[in-house]
Amino acid sequence: MKIFALLTLFITNLSFGANIFFCNPDLENLPHLDGGRLKPLYVTAEESIKSLSGKAKVEGLTRTQIYCLLSLKSLVPIKDFDLSLKIEHVKIQELLGGKKSITYSELKENFTEVRMAYVRNKEKNSYKKALEKVMRQVSLYNKITSGEHWQLPKKVEDEIEWSPFNSYFSEKDFNMGPELVYDILQKSKEDFISVEGNKYLFELRFLKWHVPSWALLTTSLALIALVLFKKVGVGLTLSAFTFLLQILLMASRIYISERAPVTNMYETVMFSGFGALLLGGALAWFLKEKIYLYLGLGYNMLTLLMMNFATELVTPSISPLVPVLRDNFWLSTHVTSIVLSYGALALSWILANTTIVKKAFFTLSSKEENYYSKIIYNCLKFGIVTLFFGIMLGGIWADYSWGRFWGWDPKETWSLIVFCIYVAILHGKYTSWIPNRVFIPVVALAFLSVMMAWFGVNYILAAGLHSYGFSQGGAFFLGTFFLVQILLVLITHFKIKSFKLSN
Amino acid sequence: MKSSIFSKFEKTVGGLKFAVILILLFTTFMVVGTFLESSGGAEYANRLIYKRWPFMGLQFLMFLSILFAAFLRLPPKKRLYGFYVIHTGLILIGIGSFITWYSGIDGSIILTRNDPSRQVELNEDIIRIHDTNKGTVYKKKLPFRAFTTDLNDEIAGIKIKKFLPFSDNQMEWKKVENKFPSASYLLFNDNISQDFTLSLHPQAKEFESTLTMGKLNIHFLPTPLGNCFAKPSKSKLIIWNLDTKTCFTPEEKKVAIKKSKRGSRFLALSTKLTGSKKIISFFPDFSPIPLDEKLQPFRKSPFRILSKKLFEEKPHLFLFGNKLSYFSDGTWESKTLGKDPSSLPWMGFNLKLIKYSEVEAPVFIPYYTAPIQESGKLVKGGQKAILVEYQGNEYWVTDNAPVTMIAGDKKMIISLAKSSFLLPFEFTLTKFKMDTNPGTMDPASYESFVRLFTTDGPSSHHIYMNNPLKHSGFTFYQASYFQDNNGGYGTVLSVNIDPGRPIKYLGALLIVLGSIWHFVIRSEFFSRRQKLAGVPA
Repeated sequence: MKIFALLTLFITNLSFGANIFFCNPDLENLPHLDGGRLKPLYVTAEESIKSLSGKAKVEGLTRTQIYCLLSLKSLVPIKDFDLSLKIEHVKIQELLGGKKSITYSELKENFTEVRMAYVRNKEKNSYKKALEKVMRQVSLYNKITSGEHWQLPKKVEDEIEWSPFNSYFSEKDFNMGPELVYDILQKSKEDFISVEGNKYLFELRFLKWHVPSWALLTTSLALIALVLFKKVGVGLTLSAFTFLLQILLMASRIYISERAPVTNMYETVMFSGFGALLLGGALAWFLKEKIYLYLGLGYNMLTLLMMNFATELVTPSISPLVPVLRDNFWLSTHVTSIVLSYGALALSWILANTTIVKKAFFTLSSKEENYYSKIIYNCLKFGIVTLFFGIMLGGIWADYSWGRFWGWDPKETWSLIVFCIYVAILHGKYTSWIPNRVFIPVVALAFLSVMMAWFGVNYILAAGLHSYGFSQGGAFFLGTFFLVQILLVLITHFKIKSFKLSN
Repeated sequence: MKSSIFSKFEKTVGGLKFAVILILLFTTFMVVGTFLESSGGAEYANRLIYKRWPFMGLQFLMFLSILFAAFLRLPPKKRLYGFYVIHTGLILIGIGSFITWYSGIDGSIILTRNDPSRQVELNEDIIRIHDTNKGTVYKKKLPFRAFTTDLNDEIAGIKIKKFLPFSDNQMEWKKVENKFPSASYLLFNDNISQDFTLSLHPQAKEFESTLTMGKLNIHFLPTPLGNCFAKPSKSKLIIWNLDTKTCFTPEEKKVAIKKSKRGSRFLALSTKLTGSKKIISFFPDFSPIPLDEKLQPFRKSPFRILSKKLFEEKPHLFLFGNKLSYFSDGTWESKTLGKDPSSLPWMGFNLKLIKYSEVEAPVFIPYYTAPIQESGKLVKGGQKAILVEYQGNEYWVTDNAPVTMIAGDKKMIISLAKSSFLLPFEFTLTKFKMDTNPGTMDPASYESFVRLFTTDGPSSHHIYMNNPLKHSGFTFYQASYFQDNNGGYGTVLSVNIDPGRPIKYLGALLIVLGSIWHFVIRSEFFSRRQKLAGVPA
């Protein structure tokens, strides 16, 4: 790191106030190489500042501006500007003298204590995890403020070379004033575009459209229009909008990442929601039963809620794939059919839960119960067939790239467990073993196996060859999901039982 | 009578209730298996569940259940066509899997650049005994179990007693014949603590006499040297006799220290001091080994010299049983370790003597432990071990350390290895290529360029992820890679023969087609609507 000695640019104004130096918001257009992928600086700034502070804006500055100012710290001492970190873990608060929020400069001064606490704590508990997170945040902060994180393109004989922010400028550049530095940055962008094109800018445009938020709005409104106001025309139009928005969302991600949009948790959640809406819509159309569309919209809304609000759990960022997954044919057949089957099984899960709640707290005739269990059964059939298709394709892909059809890897074993559980339910329904009153709550519970195969293998088992999508907090989410589902089935069961007894 | 028993059996096994029970049992096994895999790794789950008879027996029962379920529903009925196709598919998958299990090969071949190989390693543990005199090699397959197994076998006069598929080493002190010092210490400060054992005993093979911990270098030296370290000496030199195990400083024996023309220190020991006819001399700042009268290194001499000056710049700790010495703040300190820990001048560290012995030496003894996996790697139980007995003595052989036994002129090498076979052709890795994602060290692709030498002549091939090589029934897949000591890359290819493959694929295809037939086309799905009066839709 070099601190420039002569800085006419900053010499009169070293303290931060309204001065943003050259850090204009439109720097978000700059190309940036981060995590093995080319993206607009906006994406890097959004992801890194979010993970550092969680805030969208600090002192009225955009995340790109914050990122720029933090990087500038490597060349100029900007004392008054800093980010602060909210400390959530009580024990870390105690460690840092009871502070609930601390600036990164202060945190750096106390960093030895954090590291020692990490070394001293031998158990793998939430405290250790929280310490680890703080250490990661400090390391990212250090990388940004040392000017190493921000990579800038340089055109060298018609080729692009990347160099870090801290060594990109000469002292002379800096002495010419912020306008010139800004011009150099803009020039770097033009140079980059002249060699590599401006495709990367699409991601910026796409992110600013906020497609998932709009889709959540239209799907919720469609559901409200259909269920509460019985406005079929409005509901169908809004559903069509949701559908188109999700196609736009997926097409954009395909265009950006150049692969099928089913490679991480965010994308599988997105695709299953889309698949459920598509399937629900198709079944509603062919069988002339609106209920399928309701189910599709309901599940679609849940997935969009996750995508919009649970971004810690399902991160929307696009990262390069591990080598074995780099095969668009298998990705787009094996993974999509598995995820589609999860979508179909989710339809059965939603209806099963709705039915048991209706039975326990409202009224449900035996005719209705029969009708709903048939609908559930139809969803199960689709789910099972697509799931089996997906498992087989997975086996063939594994055979093709690892040399074995089946290897008892946790992800493949759990997909087989899901299959077996649903097959057992179907067989049980054929015999007199499982009457409708049992079938429906059992289907609601069976979805837990899907959740385990989908999230649990990554968040809880976290072992095996399918090593993508591991993230923090997933076990908590899954535990809560399991608990709520089991409680719902128990409560409705006892409520129905007590109702029967009182009659 | 017989036929009625069979039909009863057929009805039970082919029945739906039996099928449901089997499926649920099978599911339970799998759930347990995935959790075992998560905690103890894939091999543990395989040894405990997936590759053991209860689970395989269950799969056989499922096979029977599927088969009989189809038989029971014969002669064919039109509405069950889909069902027949699904069950035929399942039966085919069962048969295909059996063929793969029975006659398939799943191994790996390790290739380093330009080094031809044809040896394929299989995932099967064997004990290998090499009688070097006879030139014979005995091999025996070890059982695929998850726990300690008693074997009671004998090969070439060697008793094989126990097999531990998952083990770790535990340090034990064992009585030894020759006297050499060994000691265990505890080094600690407020934040961390670390125990370590050092030994000078030749039988304590796994233990060294020096150790580096961060910036600190620890040296374990013979006990008498401790006294010489404590003696005041202006020259800071110690002369050590390996034979008599005694030491002295030049000042003690009034040995003059001179300077050469180039300014290097040197000293000579008279015949009186050496007790031999030769005068020896030392350049203590260059070498501990003396020079003879012709100024040639004289390694046979029992004398060595040690210059404490060489150990003043970096942190060095010298241990002599219950004594220690170090250089700090411009002086050499010597201390005796009592019951209480002794403080050291670095980062608030203290040192405590746990055990010191000359008649016992530390050795590692394997013990069984269930494996524990963290982030995809075994952190516990990652060692396999067998206990063998030869001429009344017991020895542990691990997969990390083969044992060589010499009795008279007989020499036996016992090792724990993987079984292997030779390919009918030879392989060479000509180039290994690994691309990374731009700006990172994360791999984006692994590619092996190989050359095959067959009876038809050589041919070149390119193997990478999702692009295997097929040759005379074998399929070679890019599996892994490694970096050798010279920094060059080598590759690991998995080698596979799967005669059951086409049957399994056909089965899978039938199931998918059958399910579509059974569930979608046949059902009331597209033929008629299920309208229910009075139901709000």
